[in-house]
Amino acid sequence: MTNIDGWLQSNTFHHEQFKDLRHMIKEKEKQNLTISLCIPTLNEEKTIGKEVILFKSELQDRHPLLDEIAVIDSGSTDRTLEIAASFGADVYRSAHILPELGTKRGKGENLWKAIFQLRGDIIVYVDADIKNIHPRFVYGIVAPLIYQPKIKYVKAFYDRPMALSGKIRPSGGGRVTEILVRPLLSLFFPELAAIIQPLSGEYAVRREVLERIPFPIGYGVETSHLIDVYYEYGMEAFAQTDLDKRIHRHQETRDLGKMAFSILRTFFKRLKDKEIVADLPELTANLRQFQAQEDRYEQIIHEIYEEERPPMLKIDAYRKKLNLPT
Amino acid sequence: MNNTDLNNIINRVYSLPTELAPFREMLLANAVMISEIPAPTFMEQKRISFLGQRFNECGLTNCCTDEVGNALAFLPGKNNHQTILLTAHADTPFGAGQDHSCTVDGGTIHGPGVADNSLGLAVLATLPTLLDRLDIRFQSKLLFLSSIRSLNQGDQCGIRFFLANSREPVKAAIAIEGIPLGRLHYRSMASLGGMISCHIDRKVNHRSAIEILNRIINQLDKISLPAESHTDLILGTITGGASYKIPARQAQLQFQLRSDDDRVVKDVTARINSMLEKIGRELGVSAQLKDLAHTRSGGLRSSHPFVIQTRRIMTALGIQPQKSIYSPIITGYVEQGIPAVGLGLTYGDNIHYPDEYIEIEPILIGVAQLIGTLMALDGGLCDQH
Repeated sequence: MTNIDGWLQSNTFHHEQFKDLRHMIKEKEKQNLTISLCIPTLNEEKTIGKEVILFKSELQDRHPLLDEIAVIDSGSTDRTLEIAASFGADVYRSAHILPELGTKRGKGENLWKAIFQLRGDIIVYVDADIKNIHPRFVYGIVAPLIYQPKIKYVKAFYDRPMALSGKIRPSGGGRVTEILVRPLLSLFFPELAAIIQPLSGEYAVRREVLERIPFPIGYGVETSHLIDVYYEYGMEAFAQTDLDKRIHRHQETRDLGKMAFSILRTFFKRLKDKEIVADLPELTANLRQFQAQEDRYEQIIHEIYEEERPPMLKIDAYRKKLNLPT
Repeated sequence: MNNTDLNNIINRVYSLPTELAPFREMLLANAVMISEIPAPTFMEQKRISFLGQRFNECGLTNCCTDEVGNALAFLPGKNNHQTILLTAHADTPFGAGQDHSCTVDGGTIHGPGVADNSLGLAVLATLPTLLDRLDIRFQSKLLFLSSIRSLNQGDQCGIRFFLANSREPVKAAIAIEGIPLGRLHYRSMASLGGMISCHIDRKVNHRSAIEILNRIINQLDKISLPAESHTDLILGTITGGASYKIPARQAQLQFQLRSDDDRVVKDVTARINSMLEKIGRELGVSAQLKDLAHTRSGGLRSSHPFVIQTRRIMTALGIQPQKSIYSPIITGYVEQGIPAVGLGLTYGDNIHYPDEYIEIEPILIGVAQLIGTLMALDGGLCDQH
């Protein structure tokens, strides 16, 4: 097992360390790397314009760090795609990418299809709902990949603005992280518990890694990545960068329940596949929540299937695109 | 005045919005990033430091801050025979703790201070790059200055300090403001920004300070203002009291008195002081006037070539110059005898409210107008002979 304190010291960064974009770009060019940004969207007209403007201006026009900025959309009914395109992003409907494989609804589906559609050696994923977006959300997580070849997967983490008192910064995750994911990781994969925000939607990954791992299409995608990459490459492949404050949408506890359910299903599937826990029963796809209706209580059943897309390398169309034997 | 030269400039200016289009996001990104750095008057340092970084990155020379904290830098000209000053003020009326996030939709940017004056600052920060990419070179040296302490009690202190103390001989100046497109300010009115404070001593008087302030407002309303000198008394903000159930111990009114005649401002100010003195004689009541800001009247005449050429360039671009010609942003230049105009860049509204916004589409026309005016200044077409 890796020395967790040592890993935290050597593989945890702060975005301020990577302010010198000119130097970073020189290094990128020396390695002949290409970098794609993928912003997965579903009805994000309020925030997408600002994200595209900032990334295009600062990380393409001014400092050519990004070779492409792409919005991959799950079927927005608002002006998300129109606005993103008007400020210079490449926009794609997820359903139009690999249409022969059908369409599944979920963020993970967009992230997976991005591997096929985008051309970068590194793909950076950034959520579209960040209110205080800034170029550091991209360069902060790309930089460790550029400067350290052994690093393959970089997660972002943040200060939580609601917990900023006292001298010790809490540096923790959200509610689902702290009461579900970190305890689970501590039990089964203690090294991974050192990833401060395992569920953050901002990460940069080398293509050679992305194309080898399966993608749950829903909320389980981030957790499954951590476990799969950890199994394949070990803790040394990970790094994390402090991006300071991130302001995003507050989610209702009921919605977090659905998220937790998806993550649990993904997690148990991994435990079973990797033979860490034997004889798990067949898991239901029904999440039961309850609500009071005047003087009686009623049950609401949500069907949540955490389907998975296979590693992209197993897709013929992708192998053909890359001239690999099928 | 050489009409051929101006026609050449106008011909060039027509195509500028199209030529500038590939760089639009750079300008908008600067507007957003600047807007999201809080810069209440007297606390502009972070924003100024960002501006300084931008000046440095786009290759300006002598980037520095002066003694009071204005950011400045030079874009050398071909022969540097004269210096043209471009300024935009950095401060906003929004507190540092307020949410400064901007939102961008297809046609507008919303955010506190985005119109006044993040867009102006963004143009200042982006113009050197735009000129470079469009291969526009001037004979004159351009001096870029982002000034602090402009609004309200800042009283144009930053720009006034620079103009009063700089050794750089400035030939002419353009003050850039975000909105409105069509703004063509070239005169300053005489003005007094004042605060009337009423205070009640509870030991001897149980009335509310708001009641006293109300009387003062009624009396201010009765002061006759000479119409021929375009004199106005604007009641801007009112504050007072601590709770709805307790008579207010204090109350304040902030106002602006402005006129195109310095003597009128002086006379009316004396009358207000005399009125407050009478009220202050009542037992337990004090009423005082504090001078928050002041400006002098003056500036260019509408027949000045600088005004005429700027107006022509605006008209050629389809911009309708506004009728109002007065702004306090001109006052520092008036004090130093420097010809100056104030220009706006786009349309927008809700200025100084959290839902302040600017329209994106007209911005490049606003920038084209600015570049055209610089060309006219650089070519000597705005000189008064």
